[in-house]
Amino acid sequence: MWSEENGKKIFKGGKESFDAAAQAAAKCLFFKEDCEEECVADEEQSCYNCRYRRWTKDSFLCMKGETP
Amino acid sequence: MNLFVCIDDTDNLDSIGTGELLENMMREAAVRKLGKSGFIVRYQFLIDDAIAYTSHNSAMCCTAQTNDRAAFTAFCETYLVHTAAEGSDPGLCILTDSDALDYTPLIAFGKRAQSEVLTKAQAYATADAFGSDVHLSEHGGTGIGIIGALAGAGLRAGKAEGRIKGKLHPPKDRIEWTTSEFAAAYGVERFADEEGNEICEDLLLRFELPTKLIYQKGKVTAVLVEKDGCRMPKPKLKKNKG
Repeated sequence: MWSEENGKKIFKGGKESFDAAAQAAAKCLFFKEDCEEECVADEEQSCYNCRYRRWTKDSFLCMKGETP
Repeated sequence: MNLFVCIDDTDNLDSIGTGELLENMMREAAVRKLGKSGFIVRYQFLIDDAIAYTSHNSAMCCTAQTNDRAAFTAFCETYLVHTAAEGSDPGLCILTDSDALDYTPLIAFGKRAQSEVLTKAQAYATADAFGSDVHLSEHGGTGIGIIGALAGAGLRAGKAEGRIKGKLHPPKDRIEWTTSEFAAAYGVERFADEEGNEICEDLLLRFELPTKLIYQKGKVTAVLVEKDGCRMPKPKLKKNKG
């Protein structure tokens, strides 16, 4: 589900894997829902709706998921 | 005097969002009798590693009315200085809203911001051509928020499509509406299908789930979908980002 680049976790599902993003968020201790205007997924708890995701051209970075 | 007010890059990962900050700023301006504002439209800009956005690179723009532009502008500047999040790079744009102005260069700047990386120098050069009709100011950090602020104001002036901040929640005691009743209750100026085609006839709607309005073709627009033979305001605007 994730790859790593420069110590950051990158979601491998791109921007349209709504089920996988919801499953990932369900397991995450850091999930925080972003403001309403930035939420794009139907599932409230989804990485796509998380304040700590930073959109990239093809997917997003998890800003709470820095790897050691 | 009518204005467009746009701010960008006021947040960090733990702060309130830029839309909420603009909403709070306009509420405080109203309390101080400096100006009244309209709805807020969100504009998405290019997602690119070369741009130092917080998480989504979007700007928020509203309309405002004031009798004292200088005092209103000074208030907005001070508000941003005191409320923008630590580590942010806030920018403010206040643009005259007038049919007498040709916004073409600003609209072009806004469209470019959606597809290419722009600089502060380009923003200032574009704004300079509008003289006192554009106020553009930096309020901390690198100040690169002026790029999105100017671009967002330009897009709004050009009636570009964007999502309107806020959700409409259905009342508990009513499900069925005609489109004309729905329009009157929620300030909707236009109905459209998901492809943007206008729906003009007065239809029966079922309003059961929260929905969002969009700004499309210069009007507050409700997108309607069909489910089980009934029309309804589109429950969510799930779409690709960036």
